[in-house]
Amino acid sequence: MNWIGLQTIVKREIVRSFAIINQVVWPPVITTLLYIFVFGVGLGSQIKTIDGVSYATFLIPGLIMLQVIDQTYGESSSSFFQGRFMNSIQEMLIAPLSAVEMVAGFIISGLLRALFIAALITIIGFLFVHSLPQNWGLYLLVLFLVAVLFSALGIIFGLLAEKFDHIATLTTFVITPLVFVGGTFTSNAFLPPLLQRIAQFNPMFHMIDAFRYSYAGHGDAPLGLSLAIVGALAAAALVVALRMTASGYKLRV
Amino acid sequence: MSDAAIRIDRLVKSYGDFTAVDGISFAVEPGEFFGLLGPNGAGKTTTINAIVGLAKITSGSISLFGHDVERDWRAARATVGLAPQEYNFDRYLNIRDILIYQAGYYGLRGAAVRRRADDLLERFDLSSKARQPYIRLSGGMKRRLTLARALMHQPRLLILDEPTAGVDVELRIELWEFLKELKAAGTTIVLTTHYLEEAEELCDRIGIVEAGKVVALERTAALIGNRSLQDVFLELTRR
Repeated sequence: MNWIGLQTIVKREIVRSFAIINQVVWPPVITTLLYIFVFGVGLGSQIKTIDGVSYATFLIPGLIMLQVIDQTYGESSSSFFQGRFMNSIQEMLIAPLSAVEMVAGFIISGLLRALFIAALITIIGFLFVHSLPQNWGLYLLVLFLVAVLFSALGIIFGLLAEKFDHIATLTTFVITPLVFVGGTFTSNAFLPPLLQRIAQFNPMFHMIDAFRYSYAGHGDAPLGLSLAIVGALAAAALVVALRMTASGYKLRV
Repeated sequence: MSDAAIRIDRLVKSYGDFTAVDGISFAVEPGEFFGLLGPNGAGKTTTINAIVGLAKITSGSISLFGHDVERDWRAARATVGLAPQEYNFDRYLNIRDILIYQAGYYGLRGAAVRRRADDLLERFDLSSKARQPYIRLSGGMKRRLTLARALMHQPRLLILDEPTAGVDVELRIELWEFLKELKAAGTTIVLTTHYLEEAEELCDRIGIVEAGKVVALERTAALIGNRSLQDVFLELTRR
């Protein structure tokens, strides 16, 4: 195992994140503040509580998931694609680095990025709406699974994409709509019974619901089921990302 | 008998119906300066890509110092440094970090790596640019950085894909002197170039490829005889 090589990839990705801080760090912070003020404070004054917690407190875990999903996918997909496009990924490909080490490097850096962004928004939530997780273990577990899932998806789409536009396709047509209807802003219980059943098939609903458990102590779906779904998806995405990288798909011609 | 620095045996590389490399076999001995020449599209870069692991081998085999590049890829890759034709630097790192991170990918770090990066920057007259991104460098400086990066992990085999393309005469001669020093220190060097006088000046042996096949493989003096390398090259590669 080339541990130093793996650490170098992680370090390189962190350097990259801070080199483009206006894309990686400030947008989630500013967007979250806007959501808190517009939805949490504005709309929240009309909605006193959801599932026994204030609307602002209900909103925070959804906002963390929204940003973590967006940033982990966006960063790993653009970094991988850019490396292919500029050929700079060849530095890694000709080095004694395995597919496992490469993928692990990108996943770990995605995980660190997710933790950083989640920490910033958690602090914002504490400062502005006095909301903190009650179950830190669950908070970290869901963050871990979601970061692995979307970092791996980022690698997959970073490999599949022929142009930058293709990377945005998943975000625009799949991730964003599913996150928005997945309980970020409202409880599933507010939906008509038929839509509630359909929502059970939305993986984003399970991510947000499981994460909200760590704040509220309860959710709309059984926690075990949500964790199993998110865990299975993360494992599947990881296997696909590993197999694509190991086969040299669009990397070794 | 010691292992060859490069041993290529019946290498075939196809892209769909197109065969870029068609059954090439040759060996490069340790310490040798070998020129791989051929017209554009002859299969030189594809062969190099197969050696360093950027191209998947369709059939045949390649070993570096006895390590098969597919079965024993980790040991094989550790022996080779590549200075590619196209600039492919990491745009998020400064020049010094490009060298240090390159060593990191090869499993190296620490004070010795930082010292080597500084030595190479000094050797290639890039010290004053150490904290700048590569896009601020001139073409000649980028060329020197490509070479410095390839040398960071002190490879036993250095592959140079058109290292002097687009550089002025002064820098070209400077690079020649440096390459001669490297060879004298025992590094095996493989060079592709379109400057035939460069191959004539530097290479112990030359292989000429055309349409994916080796059409000549001789010691430089024997290949040229009493003609010029250009005449020999044109005669062998005329389509």
